[in-house]
Amino acid sequence: MNRFIECIGVGKIYPGKDQPVEALRGIDFACEAGEFVCLLGRSGCGKSTLLQMVAGLETPTAGQIVVAGKELQGPSPYAAIVFQDHGLFPWMTVQKNVEFNMKARGTPAAERRRIAAHFIAMTSLTGFEGRYPHELSGGMRQRVGIARALTTGPKALLMDEPFGALDAQTRGKLQDEVLQIWQAGRTTVLFVTHSIDEALLLADRILVFSPRPGRIAADIRVDLPRPRVPQSAGFTALARELRELVGADREID
Amino acid sequence: MQWRRALGLLPLALLLLAWHIAVELKVYPPVLLPPPAKVAMVFIDDWQTVLDNAAASIARVLTGITLAFLFAVPLGLMIGRYRLLDTMTDWSIQIFRSIPPISLIPLALLFLGIGDKPAIALIFLAGTWPLLINTIFGVRGIERTLIKVARAARASELLVMKDIILPASLPAIFTGLRLAVGGGWLTVVTAEMIAVKSGLGYMILNAQLTFRSDLIIAGIVVIGAIGLLADQLVRRVRASVCRWQEGLTASPE
Repeated sequence: MNRFIECIGVGKIYPGKDQPVEALRGIDFACEAGEFVCLLGRSGCGKSTLLQMVAGLETPTAGQIVVAGKELQGPSPYAAIVFQDHGLFPWMTVQKNVEFNMKARGTPAAERRRIAAHFIAMTSLTGFEGRYPHELSGGMRQRVGIARALTTGPKALLMDEPFGALDAQTRGKLQDEVLQIWQAGRTTVLFVTHSIDEALLLADRILVFSPRPGRIAADIRVDLPRPRVPQSAGFTALARELRELVGADREID
Repeated sequence: MQWRRALGLLPLALLLLAWHIAVELKVYPPVLLPPPAKVAMVFIDDWQTVLDNAAASIARVLTGITLAFLFAVPLGLMIGRYRLLDTMTDWSIQIFRSIPPISLIPLALLFLGIGDKPAIALIFLAGTWPLLINTIFGVRGIERTLIKVARAARASELLVMKDIILPASLPAIFTGLRLAVGGGWLTVVTAEMIAVKSGLGYMILNAQLTFRSDLIIAGIVVIGAIGLLADQLVRRVRASVCRWQEGLTASPE
């Protein structure tokens, strides 16, 4: 087994105003290279915090995180992250935004342009290179965020509720695109969501989180054939099981 | 839209009318309150005097504000970015910005003598505080996600400053520049009344000694007009530099 991301007894305690807040406790999991793993749970169960820690943007207060065989110390060169609020620089054009991660690595300008053009085409953004983020729709902005994350050829793509703010139709389209990108590039994907359907559509494996403090309540393998059909018997059965695990009322769709 | 702009002239026209009526009613003797036509004649008879003094004032403000910009903007970017620097400078900034530059004229005269130097030094001070405070404010206002994007991309501190902190702060820096130019212009006129033997401030004070109230009023008109033009100029530059901001900020109904 080729473990690419491994969390060993990871915990996170924030120094709160009155008393410390325990966001995560005893997180143990490993995910193989090329696996698509969804972190599913209600808001406030620490799944985003865990993703930020795997991205190296936050440090665990307990345990350790290993990425590509090395204990994580700050952001890893092998991972790229996509944020829910897309994190595009409003003063940069689409082209400049897509090139940013490469620029940060010191990639020469000509190569940046070539690689950017490839991923701009892949995310159907050709023709919009000179636009500013505020001139784009929500779905297109998120495409720019994804294109930017892909430019450095990351071995792991970390996605923090990337489609949470989009309408259902755009969301469905981008889910398909992410699956295509994943299948084409065999990247490891960690995908945070609070949508059971989204997790079932995308994941090889679903880690279900329970809140206060955040823990992994279940680790569920999804063996349904792809492309997945939400109306199929297997899908609905798993959805029912997950709904019980998450303790879903109407808060989770 | 164009004819609406002309509405801005209405208060000025009313003022001119009130002035005319006051002259007709002989509220003050003509030596003290000359008719508008006599003031207009100044721009034909004494245009050389007005032009030379206006040029002297403008040159001082340009020099002082340029120096203030070069000093306050880089410093503000650093203070906004590094908490330690902020803690170190916060009290000092609050103390020094509360001191009206005019109150420093006596000291400026003692240390720098009569001439351009004390005037420019005071304009520099008048411009430094609004530029510094607004630059710091601009850096603080940066979306946290954007800094995370940069950290995840492992961007160097120089790149973060140049490509993120500076452009994100530009709108606030321009707000500071508008205030600085306004404050610098107020300061130069006052400083010229005491510390220099040229400029519009000197001109109108000198005109009082020779009972040329027409020249005084003409001087005031020029001071106001240049103030308006300078402000419009800064706004234009801001609009072209911060084009990406269009559509992001609310405009009045």
